[in-house]
Amino acid sequence: MSAARSNDQQPTKPGIHWRPILVTLFNHSILILFTVIIVYPVLWMILASFKTPGELVSNTWGFPSSPAYENYAVAWDKAKLGRALLNSGIVSIGAVLVVVCLSSIAGYAFAKFSFRFGTVILLIFVFTMQAPVPIIPFYVLFVRLKLTDSYLGLILAIASGTIPLSIFIFQAFFRSIPGELREAAKIDGCSEFMAFLRVVMPISGPAVATVSILTFVGAWNEYFMPLLLIRSDELRPLTLTIQVFFLQFGRAEWNVIFATLSIASIPMIVIYVFLQRWFIRGLTSGSIKG
Amino acid sequence: MTSQPMNSPAKTLARRFSKLSPYLWILPALTVYAIFKLYPLVSGLQMSLLRWDGIEDPKYIGLRNFEKILSDPMTGTVLLNNAHYAVGTVVGKIVLSLFLAILLHQALKGRTFYRTSLFMPVVMSFVVVGVLWSWLFNPQFGLINSFLRGLGLDFLVQDWLGDAAVALNSLILVDIWKWYGFHMVIFLAGLQSIPDELYEAARIDGASVWQQFLHVTLPMLQPVMIVNVTISVMGAFNVFDIPFIMTAGGPANATNVMALHIYIRGFKFYRFGFSAALSYVLLVIVTLVAAIQLKLMTSGDNND
Repeated sequence: MSAARSNDQQPTKPGIHWRPILVTLFNHSILILFTVIIVYPVLWMILASFKTPGELVSNTWGFPSSPAYENYAVAWDKAKLGRALLNSGIVSIGAVLVVVCLSSIAGYAFAKFSFRFGTVILLIFVFTMQAPVPIIPFYVLFVRLKLTDSYLGLILAIASGTIPLSIFIFQAFFRSIPGELREAAKIDGCSEFMAFLRVVMPISGPAVATVSILTFVGAWNEYFMPLLLIRSDELRPLTLTIQVFFLQFGRAEWNVIFATLSIASIPMIVIYVFLQRWFIRGLTSGSIKG
Repeated sequence: MTSQPMNSPAKTLARRFSKLSPYLWILPALTVYAIFKLYPLVSGLQMSLLRWDGIEDPKYIGLRNFEKILSDPMTGTVLLNNAHYAVGTVVGKIVLSLFLAILLHQALKGRTFYRTSLFMPVVMSFVVVGVLWSWLFNPQFGLINSFLRGLGLDFLVQDWLGDAAVALNSLILVDIWKWYGFHMVIFLAGLQSIPDELYEAARIDGASVWQQFLHVTLPMLQPVMIVNVTISVMGAFNVFDIPFIMTAGGPANATNVMALHIYIRGFKFYRFGFSAALSYVLLVIVTLVAAIQLKLMTSGDNND
Protein backbone atom coordinates (compact mmCIF):
# COMPACT_ATOMS: atom_id res chain seq x y z
CA MET A 1 0.00 0.00 0.00
CA SER A 2 2.81 2.45 -0.63
CA ALA A 3 0.89 4.21 -3.33
CA ALA A 4 2.29 7.62 -2.45
CA ARG A 5 5.85 6.43 -2.76
CA SER A 6 5.29 4.50 -5.98
CA ASN A 7 4.09 7.60 -7.75
CA ASP A 8 7.18 9.52 -6.74
CA GLN A 9 9.37 6.95 -8.41
CA GLN A 10 7.64 6.95 -11.77
CA PRO A 11 9.16 9.01 -14.58
CA THR A 12 7.86 12.52 -14.09
CA LYS A 13 6.41 14.98 -16.52
CA PRO A 14 6.63 18.67 -15.72
CA GLY A 15 3.61 20.17 -13.96
CA ILE A 16 1.67 19.41 -10.79
CA HIS A 17 1.00 15.78 -9.86
CA TRP A 18 -2.44 15.74 -8.34
CA ARG A 19 -2.70 12.10 -7.41
CA PRO A 20 0.05 11.96 -4.75
CA ILE A 21 -1.18 15.24 -3.31
CA LEU A 22 -4.72 13.90 -3.05
CA VAL A 23 -3.49 10.66 -1.49
CA THR A 24 -1.48 12.58 1.10
CA LEU A 25 -4.44 14.84 1.80
CA PHE A 26 -6.70 11.80 2.22
CA ASN A 27 -4.22 10.11 4.58
CA HIS A 28 -3.87 13.20 6.74
CA SER A 29 -7.59 13.83 6.98
CA ILE A 30 -8.30 10.23 8.04
CA LEU A 31 -5.48 10.28 10.60
CA ILE A 32 -6.58 13.64 11.99
CA LEU A 33 -10.16 12.38 12.26
CA PHE A 34 -9.09 9.32 14.24
CA THR A 35 -6.65 11.28 16.39
CA VAL A 36 -9.50 13.63 17.35
CA ILE A 37 -11.86 10.74 18.10
CA ILE A 38 -9.24 9.01 20.24
CA VAL A 39 -7.74 11.97 22.08
CA TYR A 40 -10.83 14.11 22.49
CA PRO A 41 -12.39 12.14 25.39
CA VAL A 42 -9.15 12.54 27.36
CA LEU A 43 -8.90 16.28 26.62
CA TRP A 44 -12.57 16.63 27.44
CA MET A 45 -12.00 14.89 30.79
CA ILE A 46 -9.27 17.41 31.68
CA LEU A 47 -11.45 20.37 30.60
CA ALA A 48 -14.43 18.98 32.53
CA SER A 49 -12.30 18.73 35.68
CA PHE A 50 -12.19 22.56 35.71
CA LYS A 51 -15.94 23.08 35.31
CA THR A 52 -18.65 23.65 37.90
CA PRO A 53 -21.46 21.06 38.08
CA GLY A 54 -23.81 23.48 36.33
CA GLU A 55 -21.32 24.22 33.56
CA LEU A 56 -20.76 20.53 32.99
CA VAL A 57 -24.34 20.30 31.71
CA SER A 58 -24.88 23.77 30.23
CA ASN A 59 -21.46 24.07 28.59
CA THR A 60 -20.62 20.43 27.85
CA TRP A 61 -18.37 20.96 24.84
CA GLY A 62 -16.55 24.22 25.41
CA PHE A 63 -13.77 25.52 27.62
CA PRO A 64 -14.67 26.35 31.25
CA SER A 65 -15.56 30.05 31.61
CA SER A 66 -13.43 30.40 34.75
CA PRO A 67 -11.45 27.33 35.86
CA ALA A 68 -12.89 25.79 39.04
CA TYR A 69 -9.59 24.84 40.69
CA GLU A 70 -11.47 23.93 43.85
CA ASN A 71 -12.51 20.64 42.18
CA TYR A 72 -8.91 19.52 42.62
CA ALA A 73 -8.80 20.60 46.27
CA VAL A 74 -12.05 18.75 46.98
CA ALA A 75 -10.88 15.66 45.10
CA TRP A 76 -7.53 15.67 46.87
CA ASP A 77 -9.12 15.88 50.33
CA LYS A 78 -12.23 13.77 49.93
CA ALA A 79 -10.67 10.93 47.97
CA LYS A 80 -7.40 11.08 49.99
CA LEU A 81 -5.48 11.15 46.72
CA GLY A 82 -2.17 12.05 48.36
CA ARG A 83 -2.12 8.78 50.23
CA ALA A 84 -3.35 6.91 47.14
CA LEU A 85 -0.56 8.35 44.98
CA LEU A 86 1.98 7.38 47.63
CA ASN A 87 0.60 3.82 47.77
CA SER A 88 0.61 3.46 43.99
CA GLY A 89 4.16 4.83 43.86
CA ILE A 90 5.46 2.44 46.54
CA VAL A 91 3.82 -0.60 44.94
CA SER A 92 4.85 0.30 41.38
CA ILE A 93 8.48 1.08 42.25
CA GLY A 94 8.62 -1.98 44.50
CA ALA A 95 7.33 -4.18 41.68
CA VAL A 96 9.87 -2.69 39.24
CA LEU A 97 12.74 -3.36 41.69
CA VAL A 98 11.65 -6.95 42.36
CA VAL A 99 11.04 -7.76 38.69
CA VAL A 100 14.23 -6.13 37.36
CA CYS A 101 16.47 -7.75 40.01
CA LEU A 102 15.03 -11.25 39.85
CA SER A 103 14.48 -11.50 36.11
CA SER A 104 17.78 -9.91 35.02
CA ILE A 105 19.74 -12.44 37.08
CA ALA A 106 17.63 -15.33 35.83
CA GLY A 107 17.68 -14.05 32.24
CA TYR A 108 21.47 -13.89 32.36
CA ALA A 109 21.70 -17.52 33.47
CA PHE A 110 19.37 -18.63 30.67
CA ALA A 111 21.35 -16.62 28.10
CA LYS A 112 24.93 -17.48 29.09
CA PHE A 113 25.03 -20.82 30.91
CA SER A 114 23.97 -24.16 29.62
CA PHE A 115 22.47 -26.37 32.28
CA ARG A 116 20.49 -29.55 32.39
CA PHE A 117 16.96 -28.40 33.16
CA GLY A 118 17.29 -24.93 31.68
CA THR A 119 15.07 -25.63 28.69
CA VAL A 120 12.51 -27.43 30.83
CA ILE A 121 12.26 -24.49 33.21
CA LEU A 122 11.94 -22.04 30.30
CA LEU A 123 9.15 -24.16 28.85
CA ILE A 124 7.33 -24.12 32.20
CA PHE A 125 7.44 -20.31 32.04
CA VAL A 126 6.23 -20.27 28.42
CA PHE A 127 3.31 -22.60 29.02
CA THR A 128 2.06 -21.09 32.27
CA MET A 129 2.70 -17.36 31.84
CA GLN A 130 -0.55 -16.67 30.01
CA ALA A 131 -2.70 -18.92 32.18
CA PRO A 132 -5.23 -16.97 34.25
CA VAL A 133 -4.57 -17.71 37.93
CA PRO A 134 -7.57 -19.25 39.74
CA ILE A 135 -8.40 -16.45 42.15
CA ILE A 136 -9.69 -18.55 45.06
CA PRO A 137 -6.48 -20.55 45.69
CA PHE A 138 -4.51 -17.37 44.94
CA TYR A 139 -6.44 -15.44 47.58
CA VAL A 140 -6.31 -18.29 50.12
CA LEU A 141 -2.52 -18.48 49.65
CA PHE A 142 -2.15 -14.78 50.45
CA VAL A 143 -4.37 -15.13 53.51
CA ARG A 144 -2.34 -18.08 54.81
CA LEU A 145 0.96 -16.29 54.22
CA LYS A 146 -0.53 -13.20 55.95
CA LEU A 147 0.25 -11.16 52.82
CA THR A 148 -3.18 -9.63 52.32
CA ASP A 149 -3.46 -5.94 53.10
CA SER A 150 0.27 -5.31 52.72
CA TYR A 151 2.53 -3.55 50.24
CA LEU A 152 4.76 -6.62 50.04
CA GLY A 153 1.87 -8.91 49.15
CA LEU A 154 0.63 -6.60 46.41
CA ILE A 155 4.16 -6.18 45.02
CA LEU A 156 4.72 -9.94 44.90
CA ALA A 157 1.28 -10.55 43.37
CA ILE A 158 2.00 -8.10 40.55
CA ALA A 159 5.65 -9.14 40.10
CA SER A 160 4.85 -12.84 39.79
CA GLY A 161 2.72 -12.03 36.74
CA THR A 162 5.44 -10.12 34.85
CA ILE A 163 8.53 -12.15 35.76
CA PRO A 164 8.39 -14.66 32.83
CA LEU A 165 8.06 -12.03 30.09
CA SER A 166 10.80 -9.95 31.74
CA ILE A 167 13.12 -12.95 31.84
CA PHE A 168 12.60 -13.42 28.09
CA ILE A 169 13.32 -9.75 27.39
CA PHE A 170 16.55 -9.86 29.46
CA GLN A 171 17.59 -13.19 27.98
CA ALA A 172 17.23 -11.90 24.41
CA PHE A 173 19.22 -8.79 25.30
CA PHE A 174 22.05 -10.64 27.08
CA ARG A 175 22.39 -13.03 24.13
CA SER A 176 23.30 -10.03 21.98
CA ILE A 177 26.18 -9.01 24.30
CA PRO A 178 29.54 -10.42 23.12
CA GLY A 179 31.01 -13.10 25.37
CA GLU A 180 34.49 -11.48 25.35
CA LEU A 181 33.26 -8.80 27.70
CA ARG A 182 32.42 -11.32 30.37
CA GLU A 183 35.69 -13.21 29.78
CA ALA A 184 37.71 -10.02 30.09
CA ALA A 185 36.05 -9.18 33.39
CA LYS A 186 36.72 -12.67 34.70
CA ILE A 187 40.40 -12.48 33.71
CA ASP A 188 40.57 -9.28 35.73
CA GLY A 189 39.62 -11.40 38.71
CA CYS A 190 35.91 -10.78 38.85
CA SER A 191 33.64 -13.62 39.85
CA GLU A 192 30.85 -14.50 37.46
CA PHE A 193 28.34 -12.54 39.51
CA MET A 194 30.61 -9.50 39.88
CA ALA A 195 31.20 -9.52 36.12
CA PHE A 196 27.43 -9.50 35.66
CA LEU A 197 26.93 -6.66 38.12
CA ARG A 198 29.90 -4.47 37.17
CA VAL A 199 30.26 -5.10 33.44
CA VAL A 200 27.02 -6.47 31.99
CA MET A 201 24.33 -4.57 33.90
CA PRO A 202 25.81 -1.09 33.28
CA ILE A 203 25.46 -1.59 29.51
CA SER A 204 21.98 -3.15 29.79
CA GLY A 205 20.06 0.11 29.99
CA PRO A 206 17.71 -0.66 27.08
CA ALA A 207 16.56 -3.98 28.56
CA VAL A 208 16.23 -2.49 32.06
CA ALA A 209 14.19 0.40 30.63
CA THR A 210 11.90 -1.91 28.67
CA VAL A 211 11.19 -4.17 31.64
CA SER A 212 10.82 -1.22 34.04
CA ILE A 213 8.27 0.57 31.85
CA LEU A 214 6.32 -2.61 31.22
CA THR A 215 6.19 -3.39 34.94
CA PHE A 216 5.63 0.18 36.13
CA VAL A 217 2.71 0.93 33.80
CA GLY A 218 1.14 -2.44 34.59
CA ALA A 219 1.51 -1.97 38.34
CA TRP A 220 0.33 1.67 38.32
CA ASN A 221 -2.79 0.72 36.37
CA GLU A 222 -3.41 -2.59 38.15
CA TYR A 223 -6.92 -2.81 39.54
CA PHE A 224 -7.77 -6.45 40.12
CA MET A 225 -4.93 -7.36 42.52
CA PRO A 226 -5.63 -4.52 44.99
CA LEU A 227 -9.36 -5.28 44.72
CA LEU A 228 -8.59 -8.84 45.79
CA LEU A 229 -5.86 -8.22 48.38
CA ILE A 230 -6.24 -4.75 49.93
CA ARG A 231 -8.79 -4.24 52.70
CA SER A 232 -7.84 -1.10 54.62
CA ASP A 233 -8.45 2.41 53.29
CA GLU A 234 -4.90 3.62 53.98
CA LEU A 235 -3.31 1.03 51.70
CA ARG A 236 -5.54 1.53 48.67
CA PRO A 237 -3.67 2.44 45.48
CA LEU A 238 -4.97 5.06 43.08
CA THR A 239 -7.07 2.72 40.93
CA LEU A 240 -9.00 1.25 43.84
CA THR A 241 -9.37 4.69 45.49
CA ILE A 242 -10.91 6.15 42.34
CA GLN A 243 -13.34 3.28 41.96
CA VAL A 244 -14.46 3.45 45.61
CA PHE A 245 -14.79 7.24 45.37
CA PHE A 246 -16.77 6.89 42.13
CA LEU A 247 -19.19 4.50 43.81
CA GLN A 248 -19.66 6.86 46.77
CA PHE A 249 -19.89 10.27 45.10
CA GLY A 250 -19.81 9.71 41.37
CA ARG A 251 -23.43 10.16 40.48
CA ALA A 252 -23.59 13.49 42.28
CA GLU A 253 -20.21 15.16 41.80
CA TRP A 254 -18.98 14.40 38.32
CA ASN A 255 -16.71 17.44 38.10
CA VAL A 256 -14.82 16.24 41.19
CA ILE A 257 -14.65 12.74 39.71
CA PHE A 258 -13.03 14.20 36.58
CA ALA A 259 -10.47 15.95 38.78
CA THR A 260 -9.53 12.61 40.39
CA LEU A 261 -9.32 10.95 36.97
CA SER A 262 -7.08 13.76 35.73
CA ILE A 263 -4.78 13.54 38.75
CA ALA A 264 -4.53 9.79 38.14
CA SER A 265 -3.76 10.01 34.42
CA ILE A 266 -1.95 13.30 33.72
CA PRO A 267 1.40 12.22 35.27
CA MET A 268 1.42 9.01 33.24
CA ILE A 269 0.39 10.79 30.03
CA VAL A 270 3.09 13.46 30.45
CA ILE A 271 5.81 10.85 31.08
CA TYR A 272 4.48 8.88 28.13
CA VAL A 273 4.61 11.85 25.75
CA PHE A 274 8.24 12.55 26.67
CA LEU A 275 9.36 8.93 26.55
CA GLN A 276 6.91 7.71 23.90
CA ARG A 277 9.46 5.68 21.94
CA TRP A 278 10.43 3.77 25.09
CA PHE A 279 6.84 3.34 26.20
CA ILE A 280 5.68 1.96 22.88
CA ARG A 281 8.65 -0.38 22.65
CA GLY A 282 8.30 -1.47 26.26
CA LEU A 283 4.56 -2.11 26.23
CA THR A 284 4.60 -4.10 22.99
CA SER A 285 7.92 -5.89 23.59
CA GLY A 286 6.31 -9.18 24.51
CA SER A 287 4.61 -9.42 21.15
CA ILE A 288 7.31 -8.24 18.76
CA LYS A 289 10.46 -10.25 18.33
CA GLY A 290 13.75 -8.38 18.78
CA MET B 1 33.24 -24.15 32.34
CA THR B 2 37.01 -24.84 32.12
CA SER B 3 38.23 -28.06 30.55
CA GLN B 4 41.53 -28.40 32.47
CA PRO B 5 41.92 -31.50 34.58
CA MET B 6 40.94 -30.95 38.20
CA ASN B 7 42.10 -33.38 40.77
CA SER B 8 42.23 -31.89 44.24
CA PRO B 9 39.10 -32.26 46.39
CA ALA B 10 38.74 -28.49 46.54
CA LYS B 11 38.63 -28.31 42.75
CA THR B 12 36.09 -31.13 42.50
CA LEU B 13 33.94 -29.23 44.94
CA ALA B 14 34.36 -26.08 42.89
CA ARG B 15 33.32 -27.96 39.77
CA ARG B 16 30.25 -29.36 41.52
CA PHE B 17 29.35 -25.87 42.61
CA SER B 18 29.76 -24.44 39.13
CA LYS B 19 27.34 -27.09 37.87
CA LEU B 20 24.83 -26.03 40.47
CA SER B 21 25.40 -22.32 40.21
CA PRO B 22 23.13 -21.64 37.18
CA TYR B 23 20.26 -22.84 39.37
CA LEU B 24 21.24 -20.35 42.06
CA TRP B 25 20.89 -17.58 39.47
CA ILE B 26 17.36 -18.56 38.53
CA LEU B 27 16.31 -19.58 42.04
CA PRO B 28 14.95 -16.20 43.25
CA ALA B 29 12.77 -15.61 40.19
CA LEU B 30 11.64 -19.22 40.07
CA THR B 31 10.75 -19.23 43.78
CA VAL B 32 8.50 -16.18 43.52
CA TYR B 33 6.90 -17.53 40.36
CA ALA B 34 6.42 -21.02 41.79
CA ILE B 35 4.82 -19.80 45.01
CA PHE B 36 2.51 -17.13 43.60
CA LYS B 37 1.68 -18.47 40.16
CA LEU B 38 2.35 -22.21 39.88
CA TYR B 39 1.18 -23.21 43.35
CA PRO B 40 -2.32 -21.61 43.04
CA LEU B 41 -2.67 -23.20 39.59
CA VAL B 42 -2.24 -26.62 41.22
CA SER B 43 -3.72 -26.15 44.71
CA GLY B 44 -6.96 -24.85 43.20
CA LEU B 45 -7.63 -28.29 41.70
CA GLN B 46 -8.12 -29.72 45.17
CA MET B 47 -10.30 -26.73 46.17
CA SER B 48 -12.51 -27.26 43.14
CA LEU B 49 -13.58 -30.58 44.69
CA LEU B 50 -14.84 -28.95 47.89
CA ARG B 51 -17.96 -27.31 49.20
CA TRP B 52 -16.41 -24.47 51.13
CA ASP B 53 -17.42 -20.94 52.13
CA GLY B 54 -13.91 -20.00 53.25
CA ILE B 55 -14.82 -20.01 56.95
CA GLU B 56 -16.27 -23.34 58.02
CA ASP B 57 -14.60 -26.71 57.44
CA PRO B 58 -14.56 -27.65 53.76
CA LYS B 59 -16.47 -30.72 52.67
CA TYR B 60 -15.22 -33.01 49.91
CA ILE B 61 -17.92 -33.38 47.24
CA GLY B 62 -16.02 -34.90 44.32
CA LEU B 63 -16.91 -33.52 40.89
CA ARG B 64 -20.22 -32.06 42.06
CA ASN B 65 -19.07 -28.47 41.36
CA PHE B 66 -18.25 -29.34 37.78
CA GLU B 67 -21.60 -31.09 37.35
CA LYS B 68 -23.29 -27.95 38.65
CA ILE B 69 -21.32 -25.80 36.22
CA LEU B 70 -22.50 -27.95 33.33
CA SER B 71 -26.16 -27.82 34.39
CA ASP B 72 -26.16 -24.13 35.40
CA PRO B 73 -27.69 -21.98 32.62
CA MET B 74 -25.51 -19.08 33.81
CA THR B 75 -22.42 -20.87 32.48
CA GLY B 76 -23.77 -20.70 28.96
CA THR B 77 -24.83 -17.07 29.41
CA VAL B 78 -21.42 -15.84 30.53
CA LEU B 79 -19.50 -17.90 27.96
CA LEU B 80 -21.75 -16.61 25.16
CA ASN B 81 -21.09 -13.09 26.40
CA ASN B 82 -17.36 -13.81 26.33
CA ALA B 83 -17.66 -15.18 22.79
CA HIS B 84 -19.68 -12.14 21.67
CA TYR B 85 -17.09 -9.90 23.33
CA ALA B 86 -14.27 -11.81 21.62
CA VAL B 87 -15.80 -11.50 18.14
CA GLY B 88 -16.62 -7.80 18.60
CA THR B 89 -13.27 -6.75 20.05
CA VAL B 90 -11.18 -8.88 17.68
CA VAL B 91 -12.93 -7.65 14.52
CA GLY B 92 -12.94 -4.04 15.74
CA LYS B 93 -9.34 -4.00 16.94
CA ILE B 94 -7.89 -5.82 13.93
CA VAL B 95 -9.73 -3.81 11.25
CA LEU B 96 -9.11 -0.43 12.90
CA SER B 97 -5.49 -1.08 13.89
CA LEU B 98 -4.52 -2.56 10.52
CA PHE B 99 -6.16 0.31 8.64
CA LEU B 100 -4.38 2.95 10.74
CA ALA B 101 -1.06 1.05 10.66
CA ILE B 102 -1.15 1.02 6.86
CA LEU B 103 -1.83 4.76 6.79
CA LEU B 104 0.97 5.39 9.29
CA HIS B 105 3.41 3.17 7.44
CA GLN B 106 3.65 5.65 4.60
CA ALA B 107 6.12 8.49 4.47
CA LEU B 108 3.95 11.16 6.08
CA LYS B 109 4.78 14.34 7.92
CA GLY B 110 3.77 14.15 11.56
CA ARG B 111 3.89 10.35 11.79
CA THR B 112 5.34 10.44 15.29
CA PHE B 113 2.62 12.84 16.43
CA TYR B 114 -0.13 10.61 15.06
CA ARG B 115 1.44 7.46 16.49
CA THR B 116 1.94 9.03 19.93
CA SER B 117 -1.65 10.29 20.04
CA LEU B 118 -3.23 7.12 18.73
CA PHE B 119 -1.31 4.92 21.22
CA MET B 120 -2.20 7.08 24.24
CA PRO B 121 -5.20 5.13 25.63
CA VAL B 122 -2.90 2.10 26.07
CA VAL B 123 -1.05 3.81 28.94
CA MET B 124 -4.26 4.72 30.77
CA SER B 125 -5.78 2.69 33.58
CA PHE B 126 -8.97 0.75 32.97
CA VAL B 127 -10.46 2.39 36.04
CA VAL B 128 -9.96 5.86 34.57
CA VAL B 129 -11.16 4.65 31.17
CA GLY B 130 -14.18 2.90 32.65
CA VAL B 131 -15.32 5.84 34.80
CA LEU B 132 -14.72 8.33 31.98
CA TRP B 133 -16.73 6.29 29.49
CA SER B 134 -19.53 5.76 32.03
CA TRP B 135 -20.05 9.51 31.75
CA LEU B 136 -19.62 9.63 27.98
CA PHE B 137 -22.34 6.96 27.76
CA ASN B 138 -24.62 8.74 30.25
CA PRO B 139 -28.06 8.76 28.59
CA GLN B 140 -29.09 12.31 29.65
CA PHE B 141 -25.90 14.41 29.73
CA GLY B 142 -23.33 12.10 28.15
CA LEU B 143 -21.14 13.33 25.33
CA ILE B 144 -22.19 10.62 22.88
CA ASN B 145 -25.92 11.19 23.12
CA SER B 146 -25.57 14.97 23.06
CA PHE B 147 -23.30 14.64 20.00
CA LEU B 148 -25.92 12.50 18.25
CA ARG B 149 -28.72 14.92 19.20
CA GLY B 150 -26.61 17.82 17.92
CA LEU B 151 -26.30 16.10 14.55
CA GLY B 152 -30.04 15.44 14.48
CA LEU B 153 -29.46 11.69 14.72
CA ASP B 154 -31.94 11.28 17.58
CA PHE B 155 -32.91 7.77 16.45
CA LEU B 156 -29.37 6.62 17.39
CA VAL B 157 -29.64 7.94 20.95
CA GLN B 158 -29.42 5.00 23.37
CA ASP B 159 -29.23 4.08 27.00
CA TRP B 160 -25.77 2.74 26.20
CA LEU B 161 -25.10 0.92 29.47
CA GLY B 162 -28.66 0.45 30.77
CA ASP B 163 -30.19 -1.31 27.79
CA ALA B 164 -29.48 -5.05 27.88
CA ALA B 165 -29.48 -5.24 24.09
CA VAL B 166 -26.76 -2.58 23.74
CA ALA B 167 -24.63 -2.70 26.91
CA LEU B 168 -22.18 -5.42 25.87
CA ASN B 169 -21.50 -3.68 22.56
CA SER B 170 -20.85 -0.44 24.43
CA LEU B 171 -18.22 -2.20 26.55
CA ILE B 172 -16.71 -3.69 23.38
CA LEU B 173 -16.36 -0.16 21.99
CA VAL B 174 -14.47 0.95 25.11
CA ASP B 175 -12.16 -2.06 24.92
CA ILE B 176 -11.40 -1.31 21.25
CA TRP B 177 -10.70 2.36 22.10
CA LYS B 178 -8.32 1.34 24.88
CA TRP B 179 -6.32 -1.34 23.04
CA TYR B 180 -6.37 -0.87 19.25
CA GLY B 181 -3.24 1.36 19.50
CA PHE B 182 -1.31 -1.57 20.92
CA HIS B 183 -2.26 -3.77 17.96
CA MET B 184 -1.54 -0.92 15.55
CA VAL B 185 2.08 -0.75 16.73
CA ILE B 186 2.47 -4.50 16.30
CA PHE B 187 1.08 -4.28 12.76
CA LEU B 188 3.45 -1.37 12.06
CA ALA B 189 6.41 -3.52 13.08
CA GLY B 190 5.09 -6.26 10.78
CA LEU B 191 4.67 -3.84 7.86
CA GLN B 192 8.21 -2.57 8.31
CA SER B 193 9.55 -6.10 7.90
CA ILE B 194 7.99 -6.56 4.44
CA PRO B 195 10.69 -5.99 1.81
CA ASP B 196 9.95 -3.23 -0.73
CA GLU B 197 11.02 -5.53 -3.57
CA LEU B 198 7.82 -7.55 -3.13
CA TYR B 199 5.72 -4.47 -3.88
CA GLU B 200 7.93 -3.56 -6.81
CA ALA B 201 7.55 -7.04 -8.28
CA ALA B 202 3.77 -6.86 -7.78
CA ARG B 203 3.63 -3.48 -9.52
CA ILE B 204 5.64 -4.78 -12.46
CA ASP B 205 3.05 -7.56 -12.75
CA GLY B 206 0.42 -4.82 -12.91
CA ALA B 207 -1.14 -5.39 -9.47
CA SER B 208 -3.42 -2.60 -8.23
CA VAL B 209 -3.02 -1.13 -4.75
CA TRP B 210 -5.89 -3.32 -3.52
CA GLN B 211 -4.34 -6.43 -5.12
CA GLN B 212 -0.99 -5.58 -3.53
CA PHE B 213 -2.75 -5.43 -0.16
CA LEU B 214 -4.48 -8.79 -0.69
CA HIS B 215 -1.57 -10.70 -2.20
CA VAL B 216 1.50 -9.11 -0.58
CA THR B 217 0.59 -7.23 2.61
CA LEU B 218 -1.92 -9.66 4.14
CA PRO B 219 0.06 -12.89 3.57
CA MET B 220 3.28 -11.27 4.80
CA LEU B 221 1.48 -10.03 7.91
CA GLN B 222 0.29 -13.51 8.86
CA PRO B 223 2.64 -13.96 11.86
CA VAL B 224 1.74 -10.61 13.45
CA MET B 225 -1.91 -11.22 12.58
CA ILE B 226 -1.83 -14.45 14.60
CA VAL B 227 -0.19 -12.62 17.53
CA ASN B 228 -2.75 -9.81 17.42
CA VAL B 229 -5.78 -12.10 17.12
CA THR B 230 -4.56 -14.38 19.92
CA ILE B 231 -3.85 -11.49 22.30
CA SER B 232 -7.31 -10.03 21.68
CA VAL B 233 -9.12 -13.35 22.01
CA MET B 234 -7.32 -14.12 25.28
CA GLY B 235 -8.05 -10.61 26.49
CA ALA B 236 -11.73 -11.08 25.67
CA PHE B 237 -11.97 -14.30 27.69
CA ASN B 238 -10.05 -12.82 30.65
CA VAL B 239 -11.87 -9.48 30.64
CA PHE B 240 -12.85 -8.27 34.12
CA ASP B 241 -12.12 -4.59 34.77
CA ILE B 242 -14.42 -3.01 32.15
CA PRO B 243 -17.64 -4.89 32.99
CA PHE B 244 -16.93 -4.82 36.74
CA ILE B 245 -16.43 -1.04 36.82
CA MET B 246 -18.95 0.05 34.18
CA THR B 247 -21.93 -2.29 34.54
CA ALA B 248 -21.14 -4.84 37.30
CA GLY B 249 -22.34 -7.49 34.85
CA GLY B 250 -25.77 -5.95 34.40
CA PRO B 251 -28.37 -5.21 33.24
CA ALA B 252 -29.81 -8.70 33.80
CA ASN B 253 -26.42 -10.40 33.26
CA ALA B 254 -26.18 -8.92 29.76
CA THR B 255 -22.53 -8.04 30.43
CA ASN B 256 -21.67 -10.81 32.88
CA VAL B 257 -18.51 -12.60 31.74
CA MET B 258 -16.57 -15.57 33.08
CA ALA B 259 -13.96 -13.69 35.13
CA LEU B 260 -16.70 -11.60 36.72
CA HIS B 261 -18.85 -14.69 37.36
CA ILE B 262 -15.88 -16.36 39.09
CA TYR B 263 -15.32 -13.27 41.26
CA ILE B 264 -18.98 -12.86 42.19
CA ARG B 265 -19.45 -16.57 43.07
CA GLY B 266 -16.29 -16.46 45.16
CA PHE B 267 -16.41 -13.14 46.93
CA LYS B 268 -20.09 -12.14 46.94
CA PHE B 269 -21.63 -15.58 47.56
CA TYR B 270 -18.61 -17.19 49.24
CA ARG B 271 -18.83 -20.35 47.15
CA PHE B 272 -15.08 -20.91 47.11
CA GLY B 273 -15.16 -24.47 45.74
CA PHE B 274 -17.57 -23.64 42.93
CA SER B 275 -15.60 -20.51 42.03
CA ALA B 276 -12.33 -22.47 41.94
CA ALA B 277 -13.95 -25.03 39.64
CA LEU B 278 -15.15 -22.22 37.34
CA SER B 279 -11.56 -20.93 37.15
CA TYR B 280 -10.49 -24.20 35.56
CA VAL B 281 -13.20 -23.92 32.92
CA LEU B 282 -11.74 -20.52 32.03
CA LEU B 283 -8.21 -21.92 32.18
CA VAL B 284 -9.09 -24.70 29.72
CA ILE B 285 -10.62 -22.20 27.26
CA VAL B 286 -7.64 -19.83 27.41
CA THR B 287 -5.22 -22.75 27.08
CA LEU B 288 -7.08 -23.94 23.97
CA VAL B 289 -6.74 -20.48 22.42
CA ALA B 290 -3.01 -20.46 23.22
CA ALA B 291 -2.61 -23.98 21.80
CA ILE B 292 -4.31 -22.97 18.55
CA GLN B 293 -1.96 -19.98 18.32
CA LEU B 294 1.09 -22.21 18.88
CA LYS B 295 -0.16 -24.63 16.23
CA LEU B 296 -0.72 -21.86 13.69
CA MET B 297 2.65 -20.25 14.42
CA THR B 298 4.65 -23.47 14.12
CA SER B 299 2.85 -24.60 10.95
CA GLY B 300 3.66 -21.18 9.50
CA ASP B 301 7.33 -21.71 10.30
CA ASN B 302 7.37 -25.04 8.47
CA ASN B 303 6.11 -23.44 5.29
CA ASP B 304 8.93 -20.93 5.17
